Amino acid sequence: MATEVLQQDAQAPARAATLYHIENPEVENKAERFLNAFAAVLHFTDYKALLDSYCASSAKCGRCVASCQVYQVSRDPRDIPCYRSNLLLDVYRRHFTVGGWLKAHIGGGWSLTDALVDEMADIFYRCTACRRCTLECPLGIDHGLITRLGRYILSMAGIAPKALQVSVREQLEGETRNTSKLPEPALVDTLEFLAEEMAESLGVKLEFPLDQPDRDYGFFCAVSDYLMEPDTLMGNAAVLYAAGDWDRWTIGSRNFDAINYGLFYSDWHLERIIKRLVGEAKRLRAGTLLIGECGHASRSACQFVPVFAGQDELPVKSFIEYTLECIEDERIHLDPDIVTEKVTYHDPCNIARSGWIVEQPRRILRSFVKDFVEMTPHGRTNYCCGGGGGLVSMDETHEWRMKVAGRVKAEQIRATEAEIVVAPCANCKKQLKELVDYHELPCRVMGLHDLVLRAIDIPGGKSARQRQDEAALAATA
Amino acid sequence: MEHWLELARGPLFAFTFLVMGLGLARHVLLQVHGLVTRKGQRLRQAPWRRIASSTLSWAVPVGHLDRSTLVMTTASFLFHIGAVVVPVFLAAHVALWSGFLGVSLPALGEGAADLLTALTIVCVLVLVAYRLMTPRARALTRASDYGVLGLVLVPFLSGFLAAHPTLNPLPWSWMMLLHILSAELLLLAIPFTKLAHVVLFPFDRLSEVHWQLRPGAGDRVAAALYGEEAHV
Ligand code: SF4
Ligand code: SF4
Repeated sequence: MATEVLQQDAQAPARAATLYHIENPEVENKAERFLNAFAAVLHFTDYKALLDSYCASSAKCGRCVASCQVYQVSRDPRDIPCYRSNLLLDVYRRHFTVGGWLKAHIGGGWSLTDALVDEMADIFYRCTACRRCTLECPLGIDHGLITRLGRYILSMAGIAPKALQVSVREQLEGETRNTSKLPEPALVDTLEFLAEEMAESLGVKLEFPLDQPDRDYGFFCAVSDYLMEPDTLMGNAAVLYAAGDWDRWTIGSRNFDAINYGLFYSDWHLERIIKRLVGEAKRLRAGTLLIGECGHASRSACQFVPVFAGQDELPVKSFIEYTLECIEDERIHLDPDIVTEKVTYHDPCNIARSGWIVEQPRRILRSFVKDFVEMTPHGRTNYCCGGGGGLVSMDETHEWRMKVAGRVKAEQIRATEAEIVVAPCANCKKQLKELVDYHELPCRVMGLHDLVLRAIDIPGGKSARQRQDEAALAATA
Repeated sequence: MEHWLELARGPLFAFTFLVMGLGLARHVLLQVHGLVTRKGQRLRQAPWRRIASSTLSWAVPVGHLDRSTLVMTTASFLFHIGAVVVPVFLAAHVALWSGFLGVSLPALGEGAADLLTALTIVCVLVLVAYRLMTPRARALTRASDYGVLGLVLVPFLSGFLAAHPTLNPLPWSWMMLLHILSAELLLLAIPFTKLAHVVLFPFDRLSEVHWQLRPGAGDRVAAALYGEEAHV
C-alpha cells in the first residue's frame, strides 16, 4: 500500500533525499539490510506484541493529526503521524506476518524496496518524537515509539544521522568518553573557571568536587553545559552550596556526560550509555544519580536506569526536583524581588509529557518570579520546541526546524509576551534560542537555574540584592 | 424461505460467533503471552495508573473535544454506543441470546431501539463523509477502511428496514436474511480486520509498557548483525 502512495506521488516535486546528513549514504542493498535488521530486532526485543496489536487495530482515523506541530505547518500528508507509522507497520505486515506473506504470494503484492527504505529514512526524522499526538489518539497509538523503532531498525541497517552517530561513537568508544569531545583537562579548566567566576560574583571560595568517592550525589549533566551554559551550571552549584550540600556531591572525571542520543534512535546505544553512567556512579560509590537540567538526559536516566540496571539499583533524581526540595525544606532562599521581568516556562516533552516533571519547575518559579505567565497549551499537552528527537543536534536541519517544526512554538511564545522563556533542557534551549533569533521574538531564553542563580541568597557570601546593587553600580560606572 | 432464515439464525450464527470468539481469543492470548513471557518483571515497573487514567479519559471523550475534531469525535463516540448497545440489547436479539447462551438480558424499548439504530446509521455516514472530505483523513484512508464501514452499515440499515415495513422496499424475509447474513459477515470480519480493536484497544494503550525495553537486547541485535565486536 505504501508503495502505491509513493507511486502516486512520483509526479510530485521531489524533495531533498533527507533533511539531515546520513553518515553513510551509499549503503547498498538497503531493503535487504533493513529486513535483516528488522528480523534481528523482532527476534531479540519485545516489540512484536506491540506491532501485532497496532497492525491489527490501527484505525487511521486522522484524529491526532491536528495535534502535531509539524503537520500543522507543513500540511504534507507524509507528515501525518499514522501515515508515517504505517510505513513501518506495512513492512511488518508484509514481511513478518503470515497474512502478509500469503497476500504477497497469492495476490502478487509488493515487497520492500530500497526506495521505500529511503522514504523511511527521510520521514522518520521529520517527527520530533514528542508524543503529543499520542494524547489525541483514542487507541493510544504511540508514534514516538514507532518513529524511534523505525530509526532503530534503520540504524542497525547502517542508516543513521551522521551528527548523532559521530557523537555517540566518541561517547562510547572514543578517548574523551563524551559527545562533545571535551578532554578531561579541559573539564578541569572549566571547573576552575566556574569557581573563579563564582568567587567573584557570589563572594564564596569553593572548589568543584571532582572524583570524590562516597558522596550522596553523582552529578551528570549534558556536556554542552560545561561548554556553553556556565550560568546553568553555576546555578546548580549555587543551590548545592547554599543548601549546605557542597561536600555531598561530586562530578566524575571518567564520565560526566549525561547526553543519551540512544533515546532518539537506538536501543543499543541507549542501554550502553546508561550502563556507562551507572558504572561511573558505582566507581565513585555515589548514592544517587543527580541529573542536570536536560529533558532527554533526565528522562533516559530516570526511565532506563531501573530498566537496564535493575529496579532500586541506583536512585535517579533530576536537579529540578532537588532544587524544589531545597526550597520547600527552606534550605535555600530565593529573593522574590530580583526577577521582575515577565517569565514563561517551556515544558520539555521528555520530562513533561513523557516524564514526571510538570509542577516542580512551576513551584520553583512561582516562589520567586513576580510575573509568571503560562503558554497555551502547557504542561503535558505542551507543544514541542520543534527540535526534539535529536533534530536540534543536526545543524543541517536548521531551516526546517525554524520554518516548519518550530513555527507553532514560536507563535506560542510570542503570544505570551514574556521577556524570558525558561527551558530546563539543553536541546530545547538551543532550538528556542535559534527560534528567537529567526522569528525575531522579543525575549531571551535561559535555563531554570540561570534564573535561580540571579535570585539565590548565598549564606556567607553575597545576597541576591547585594549582587543586583553591585551590577547596577557597575553599569552606571 | 423460512428454512433459510432458520439456517442463518441457527447453525450459521453459531458458527460465525464461534469463529469470532476464537479469533478474538487468539488476539488476546497472543498479547498476554507476549507480554508475560517477554516483559515479565518489567510489567511491574510500568506506570499503570497513568495508563488507566488515560484509557478512562476516552470512555467519555469530552476532555478530548476541540474544534478540528469535534464532528468526527462525536460521531465516533455515538457510533460506538449504538454499535455495542443495539446488537446486544435489541428485543429481538435479547430473545436470540436467551435461546443461545441461556442468559436473559434487559431489552431496549422499541422507541429507544429505533432512535439508537438510526443514530448509528447516521454516524456511520458521517464517518464516511469525514474520510472523504477531510484531506488528512483522506490521505490515510484505504479501500479497506471504507469496506469496514460498509460492513458495519449494512446490518444496521437492513435491520432497521426489516423492522419498519412501511420503509422496506423488499419482502420482509429477504430483508431479514440480508440482515442476518450481513451481521454474520461482520462477526466473521471482526478478528481479521481493524475491528479487532474491540479486544485489542487495551493492548494498544500499553505503549508505556513497551517503553520498558528488554535489557541486553541491543547487544544481541548488534552481535547477530555485526558480530560480537560490533562498533557504533
Ligand atoms: S510525535 Fe510529535 S512530531 Fe511526531 S508525529 Fe507526533 S506530534 Fe508530530
Ligand atoms: S494514531 Fe490514532 S488518532 Fe492518529 S490517525 Fe491513527 S488511529 Fe487515528
